[in-house]
Amino acid sequence: MAVQAIETTFGEAPPPRRQRLLEDERWLAFMLLVPTMVLLGMFIAYPFARGILLSVTNSRVGVPGQFVGLANYYKIWNDTIFRTAVYNTFLYTAVTTVFKLGLGLWLAMLLNRDFRGKAFTRAFILLPFIIPTVLSTFAWKWMFDPTFSVLNWVLYHLGLITGRINWLGDPDLAMISIIVVNIWRGVPFFAISLLAGLQTISPELNEAAAIDGAKPWQRFWHVTWPLLLPVTMVVVLFSVIQTFADFQIVYVMTGGGPANATHLFATYAYQIGVGTGLLSEGAAISLAMFPILFLVVIIQLLYIRRVEVR
Amino acid sequence: MIEGARWRRWVFFYLPMAMFLVFLLFPFYWMIITSFRPDGELYRPWNSVNYNPFWTTRPTLEHVRYLFEETLFSQWLWNTTFIALVSTVISLVCGVFAGYALSRLSFPFAGSLGTGIFITYLVPQTLLFIPLAEIIRNYKLGDTPWSLILTYPTFLIPFCTWLMMGYFKAIPRELEECARIDGASRWKAMLYIIIPVAIPGILSAGIFAFTLSWNEFIYALVFLSSPEQKTVPVGVTSELIRGDVFFWGPLMAGALLGSVPVAIAYSFFVEHYVSGLTGSVKG
Amino acid sequence: MARVTRRKFLRVSSAGALAAKSGGIAGILATGQAPAHAQTATVHWLKWVDFVPASDQLLKRDMVPEAEKALGIKINLETINANDLQPRITAAIQSGSGADLIMAFNNWPYLYADSIVEMTEQAESVSANEGGLYKYARSLCSDGTRFMSMPWAVIGGMIAYRKSWFDEIGVTTFPETWETYREVGKKLKAKGRPIGQTLGHTFGDAPGFTYPYLWSWGGKEVEADGKTVAINSKETLQSVKFMTAFWKEAHDEGGLAWDDTNNNRAFLSQTISATLNGASIYIESQRNPDKYVTEKGTQMKTDIQHAPLPKGPAGQFGFHLLQSHMLMKYSKNQEAAKKLVAWLQTTSNYEKWFLSQKGFATPCTANWEKHKLWDEDPVMAPYKVAARLGQAPGFAGPPNAKAAEAWTKYIITDMYAKAVQGMPAEEAVKWTEDELKKVYV
Repeated sequence: MAVQAIETTFGEAPPPRRQRLLEDERWLAFMLLVPTMVLLGMFIAYPFARGILLSVTNSRVGVPGQFVGLANYYKIWNDTIFRTAVYNTFLYTAVTTVFKLGLGLWLAMLLNRDFRGKAFTRAFILLPFIIPTVLSTFAWKWMFDPTFSVLNWVLYHLGLITGRINWLGDPDLAMISIIVVNIWRGVPFFAISLLAGLQTISPELNEAAAIDGAKPWQRFWHVTWPLLLPVTMVVVLFSVIQTFADFQIVYVMTGGGPANATHLFATYAYQIGVGTGLLSEGAAISLAMFPILFLVVIIQLLYIRRVEVR
Repeated sequence: MIEGARWRRWVFFYLPMAMFLVFLLFPFYWMIITSFRPDGELYRPWNSVNYNPFWTTRPTLEHVRYLFEETLFSQWLWNTTFIALVSTVISLVCGVFAGYALSRLSFPFAGSLGTGIFITYLVPQTLLFIPLAEIIRNYKLGDTPWSLILTYPTFLIPFCTWLMMGYFKAIPRELEECARIDGASRWKAMLYIIIPVAIPGILSAGIFAFTLSWNEFIYALVFLSSPEQKTVPVGVTSELIRGDVFFWGPLMAGALLGSVPVAIAYSFFVEHYVSGLTGSVKG
Repeated sequence: MARVTRRKFLRVSSAGALAAKSGGIAGILATGQAPAHAQTATVHWLKWVDFVPASDQLLKRDMVPEAEKALGIKINLETINANDLQPRITAAIQSGSGADLIMAFNNWPYLYADSIVEMTEQAESVSANEGGLYKYARSLCSDGTRFMSMPWAVIGGMIAYRKSWFDEIGVTTFPETWETYREVGKKLKAKGRPIGQTLGHTFGDAPGFTYPYLWSWGGKEVEADGKTVAINSKETLQSVKFMTAFWKEAHDEGGLAWDDTNNNRAFLSQTISATLNGASIYIESQRNPDKYVTEKGTQMKTDIQHAPLPKGPAGQFGFHLLQSHMLMKYSKNQEAAKKLVAWLQTTSNYEKWFLSQKGFATPCTANWEKHKLWDEDPVMAPYKVAARLGQAPGFAGPPNAKAAEAWTKYIITDMYAKAVQGMPAEEAVKWTEDELKKVYV
């Protein structure tokens, strides 16, 4: 329908030179990429290079410092807190991503149905994502507070516990708590992105499969999932990167405590770089995750390509 | 829709949906209650007799009043809206163009450029803000909304680009080719055929970009200094957390009033998810 | 006021939209940026947002306009959350632009020593006028050769406790030693009223407790040379073992997760009987006397007393939050900023601010101990000498950048937190020694 409406306007003007240039794929691609390149070049290229350079010097805040090679990396390699942070970051990213993807996909399938209050529900489900993270994390902190925890109240009145649970005071529970908050914050984003992906899949495909006698589960697996895969991969990719560099939640909820049990890359880098002023070491800590992330990203990107070719 | 018996609808739809709603919206409900709860009720331990976490018998508007009268909240709200809107538009335009180029046009280095855009996303903001502050100073953007409007796209564009690449790739090539045979230029085919089909993708990229700029914290903290220039997250935390005393009511009211309007606005957009798409594919 | 800024906003935005279209930042610069306040110097003063809201109001409404008039300068006073000061300072120093005068906590001046302007003259003149700066303030703001920042005030940390609850178990004066405090705490916890203390990662109350506690047992981070790590001693070990038992017997075990705010809430909601804190609990209870009531229905504020941390075998110590102002080297308004500092520290001006604090902040010079404010409210009286009793982290060495690193990494606090969570005392001390050795290389 939309195509027909536009068709009439196509034939009118004779193509000027500018238009012919735009007909060339390479030129058009160049023109389309210019704004992005300019912005990223202006604002990211320098800080990015600067960050790498910082990590191979011994500079502190206000002191430029000298080139020291990989000394900072060597230092953090032997740092037990850093190792804890590495372990925590991997655990945190892996667990939250699995849950966010699983729950997000499930929620997207639910939201893809027709029901009353659809638009309203879809928008309000996004609230955890909209509420400024700093502030929502304070609310969670209040809910996990050892003295006031409403969660303890609920569990107690459901008869599940007899004493209080020390949510943020116990190393394992503290980790679970921040994982829960991250999942809470991330599920809506997964759900809404995947929902958009689901909407691009023509319902006719599913109907056709249903006529052929495919069960709902088979239809999902053979029709929906392959078509959803490209979008899913991108969303997962970004979520992994974001979670890897997550800062706010841990910073507000535990500050990396108790006794460094919940430190992540970003919080530890911040504590060293900004708290202690050892900029170079902070840079080294946050860049130490770069090769790992890089690898993850490359693998995922290759996978995306392969999926798309197929 | 779920076929078959009524219980199946309950088990496969209503029940899980309800569980999701409780999980996702409970903290939100908690904020509402806290915003309207008088301070006297706030300081009650979880195991005390008169602890009533889900309701208050004496709701008060005191906190909301405080927020608007004692702080510059309405100004912050306006600042945040303006900054988030402009940076979203910039990021969307860049992201849609770049995504289209990278996914549907063939030119040298397309693959490595795509990866390159992605790589910029890998540097953590918690450290990036320090060298970035130098740039902001060099361009003399400090303490203006432009310091944020121009830096937010740096972490929004990569995502928008990649998300759009995903959506563009899912659109069948025949659609574009048909238009081209009918005489449309590449530019017009992109503008009038492909982009309308990708509306749901654009919307979700837009929602994503807007939300991230809406609640960004560290850049806003570092690049802005005048109270009347601040954004909601920075303004609220710097006014309402005083040393070791939290002003819980206004703090939560701030979070609430800073997010519900956005959710309501989104509810109009998400409606378009459906109509935008099904319409153009069938046409 | 708001409308003017909004209009300016719109003007900038429409110009900017055009500029963005033509793809240049130059456009924005050309249209959006008007050269502001070219003539009079503007001093941008960045400080924390005060625990005592009245003090910030006093500054904004009265003192700043007054100073502007008296000095012929413009002052831009910005207050932010204490936790957010450091990122601001870091970015400002690295980019060479930002606030002219910035508030620093404890030994931050050592961290930023290369980026500040010497303030020796001003500090010494205040010291001479007001009966001498306390050693504590001197050690944190001066490296012995020069003042890196101007001492402003000390936020004293004292134990706030519930008088009536201590009375009920027959304790009428606050325990003087750790042993008696532990006995008292045991009885209190048995009645469901434990002592509250944070051992989490938080800049105020956690190190404010663990450092003095360590010192009072005779433990120390390093020798006086500031290099040789001396934590692994039998005194330290003893303190860790005592703490482990003390924690189980007398403390609220939720404290491992607390930040600086939790103990305030726990105290005001009557779940703990005593906690180390600034005077903010008491001040909050005074600000809203009807909101905080005891189980007997009386106002909470009448039932709060303050006491210093108990003594250990090696003496009695305190580690308080010292605030000072750093004048930044990149500042283009150094003269004006110096004038402002001098004006603020003039006794008659400073007194107005001091009075608004009601004892929450203790000045850094000795003469203020004689001020009549301390007689007005006996509950606040213990804070009078907070600054006199203070000792800085890094003891027995200087409170330099290394000490600041150990402090910001929460190494001492984590030693106790680890032991309390079940790590054998020897291992916790060993871990601390290893960490400190990495800092003091």
